[in-house]
Amino acid sequence: METVILHHLSKTFPGGKEAVKSISLSLHEGEVFGFLGPNGAGKTTTVKLLTGILLPSGGSCRVMNTDPSREPEKSHALSGVVTEHAQMYDLLTGLQNLIFYASVFGIPEEEGRARALFLLDRLELSEAADQKLSAYSTGMRQRLSLARALIHRPSVLFLDEPTSGLDPESALNVNRLIRSLASEERVTIFLCTHQLRYAQEICTRYGLIDEGSLLAEGTLEELRSRVSDAATLRIRSAGIAPEVLSELSLRQSGEGCFETDIRSEEDIPGIVRRLVEAGSNIYGIETEYPDLEDIYFSLTGKKKEGHS
Amino acid sequence: MNTAIFAIIKKDFRSVTANRRLFASLLIVPLVLTIVLPSVFVFLIHMTPDDPDIQSLLNLLPQASRSSSLELTVTGLIINHILPVFFLIIPIMTASIMAASSFVGEKEKRTLETLLYSPLTVGQIFRAKVLASFLLSMMVSLISFTAMTVVLEAEIFLLMGTLLLPGAAWIIILLLVAPAISLIAVTLIVRGSAKATTVEESQQSAVFLILPLLLLLVGQFSGVLLLSGWILLILGGVCALLAWLLLRKAAEKFTCERLLK
Repeated sequence: METVILHHLSKTFPGGKEAVKSISLSLHEGEVFGFLGPNGAGKTTTVKLLTGILLPSGGSCRVMNTDPSREPEKSHALSGVVTEHAQMYDLLTGLQNLIFYASVFGIPEEEGRARALFLLDRLELSEAADQKLSAYSTGMRQRLSLARALIHRPSVLFLDEPTSGLDPESALNVNRLIRSLASEERVTIFLCTHQLRYAQEICTRYGLIDEGSLLAEGTLEELRSRVSDAATLRIRSAGIAPEVLSELSLRQSGEGCFETDIRSEEDIPGIVRRLVEAGSNIYGIETEYPDLEDIYFSLTGKKKEGHS
Repeated sequence: MNTAIFAIIKKDFRSVTANRRLFASLLIVPLVLTIVLPSVFVFLIHMTPDDPDIQSLLNLLPQASRSSSLELTVTGLIINHILPVFFLIIPIMTASIMAASSFVGEKEKRTLETLLYSPLTVGQIFRAKVLASFLLSMMVSLISFTAMTVVLEAEIFLLMGTLLLPGAAWIIILLLVAPAISLIAVTLIVRGSAKATTVEESQQSAVFLILPLLLLLVGQFSGVLLLSGWILLILGGVCALLAWLLLRKAAEKFTCERLLK
């Protein structure tokens, strides 16, 4: 079932800045969709359009069969949102905040309290439940925001940089929660991040955005095939004869290290056989597929940081 | 969605009561206006000897406003003609404190966007904000009225040996005119708060809105009280209608995008 649909969605701000340019996408139940791009690419604007906080200047979108630009309140009843701009009340405790938002969603107080306590426990915030929010660290606030977004059991969850400010252990816990929400409770997750490595750990499908335009979308395999069919085979070996090097198109990448581009894993046995036949000693072999960073930089034509 | 609106009202109330200094000033100023000041009047009247000049001034009043003694007539005048004006000022003053920060306060603390992600329409949130400020002002004004009546009646009984119960106009003022005028002021201030970018800006424009309104009220209201109760009732009705229309129309143009600008 399609849960989130974007149809030529565009947003031009009054100053003339085109933040989102005719994006079309659709998300399915239970998938973790990574919406990836650098800061200022238009990710947050897209989330604001999908949650009815901003009105589109062109195109349309639907969330769980509701139109967020016309009836945002109906979309909000079915979706949860975590962004750094959506904070909670400092003078209330973590638990009081969650109970407040539960009642805003029409959940009776006792049921809201039980749900809040369950989420606080799930996000390892039980000990801080009765502390005022003013005493919370950035990471604790971030986790409480996630609890707040989940208080009404939404079918779609919009997460804008959900693990920024989290320590590695909390981030791991949040990732586990996100995965289980998608796989067990069939929640659709729309996750915005500029951390491509993080996205690759958790997402099932991706959309790459730059300067407001969607560059590509699909699973990692689909994106890889869009960029190039090649994987890199790295071989640690000694004594490879020059004619074998040129025959197998091997390049030397370091002392005793060689690499070549292959189209699929099927190419590997042939290469290894030829090397062994030529009398070379092989100490190690690994295949490296392009990761999201490689794909992203290849699509944008920009250079990867730290690479020449 | 009443649970949600009630939750917002409760939360807004808590934000005022949690700030003890703000809450104290919210109660102290009305109590000074309605207990200390009238008590000073009552004692002064009791101490002042019968003055022929005051007598000739009182002769200008309609027959209905006069009592058996000069002391009781003047005290009655204060209770029924001067003090009601305070009860127009108090609710507006009280409400303005909360109303001025209603939207822009949340915007500054970055909690407005979270509230907008709720399953409430902007209009419902707007009405919840107006209701919160309005209910607070009504609560403070009813507490002030009760305290004032108890203290003044005790003083009058001890000094003059009789009770001087507030006239019927009080009911119309407390239950119709003051709430209606307060609702108009609150709606306008909350609307200003939704458009403002800082709390200071909102408070300044609230003062700019309230001062002329107050001066107009204080200047005219004692005179209105000399007229019949019917006119007061009609005036209250018109204000209530205006308040209702304003409350319905005020939130129409607001969208989430405009509120968060």
